[in-house]
Amino acid sequence: MSAHVKELLALAAARALDPSEAARVEAHLAGCAECARDAGEWRRLAEGLERLPTPRPSRALVARTVEAVEAHVAERTERAWNRAALGFLVAFAWTLAVLAWLVLDLLAGGLALRLESPIASTGVLYAAYLVAGWLTAGAAAVLLGRRRREEGRTV
Amino acid sequence: MDPDRDDAARLRRGDTAGLTGLMGRHQDRLFRYLLRLVGEEAVAEDTFQQTWVQVAERIGRYDTSRPFAPWLFTVARNLALDHLRRRRPESLEEVDEPAAPAGAQGDPLAHAVARQQSARLANAVAGLAPLDREVLSLRFEEDLALPQLAQTLGVPVPTAKARLYRALARLRGRMLATAPAEDWR
Repeated sequence: MSAHVKELLALAAARALDPSEAARVEAHLAGCAECARDAGEWRRLAEGLERLPTPRPSRALVARTVEAVEAHVAERTERAWNRAALGFLVAFAWTLAVLAWLVLDLLAGGLALRLESPIASTGVLYAAYLVAGWLTAGAAAVLLGRRRREEGRTV
Repeated sequence: MDPDRDDAARLRRGDTAGLTGLMGRHQDRLFRYLLRLVGEEAVAEDTFQQTWVQVAERIGRYDTSRPFAPWLFTVARNLALDHLRRRRPESLEEVDEPAAPAGAQGDPLAHAVARQQSARLANAVAGLAPLDREVLSLRFEEDLALPQLAQTLGVPVPTAKARLYRALARLRGRMLATAPAEDWR
């Protein structure tokens, strides 16, 4: 019996042949006692494999797994929320900065006209305001981050 | 609608009830597959847990137009193979020395079954290389057709076919070494 025939017999028992190959094997088995005996051995092996005992995950394992996934999902949700909140806050801060520039320029210009005397450059005032604002926000972010690390949170 | 896709969509929205549905339908076959592949119950349990965490993490990448099971098995397979490569980097096609039937430890029912004829076959399977055990499990226990089997293994269909035959031939050789074919039944 050739190696190719042997392979076909094994794959036929595993139901891994396409229909035309399977039909050719069946036709061959009808007239070849040696191959029919061999095919029987492969079939017994395949049937045994299909009947192997089925191990199942324990309830404790399933419970642990559900718990782990829920913790992961909660962390992922919090991370997504934090990202969205951060994006919103950055956009809000920039909007506020631009609006503040317009308001400050308007007020400083109007005041200068009323007092009929030049006051400090609007640009300098605005820059000072902006730097103070960002420094305060940065310090708050650092303190918040430190506190979160102390709480053992990874987000 | 396919319940797997429905539950995957829920899990994607962060609703863990989706996970309960997916686990309920796939946990037994996933655990059996992992146990056959890694060959050790403790490792199979760790990988089982990691697989579902990865599923929750990567659910956004799952293409809902395709069946869920092959994607799940691919995630599990990658984790299991990573573990096996770390443990034994040289080859996944070499046999494991401990040849105890997978899943038989400490389980009276499994011991009772192990006393029967299938114990010999379970031992022979446990003694095969991880990749041989894997292909046999996917075909005979998970009942995957050849195209799905090839997809799970990440190889072309002819390669999957060759791998299946090679595993069967090695198993047959091991079985013949313990008893003549007439006694396999």
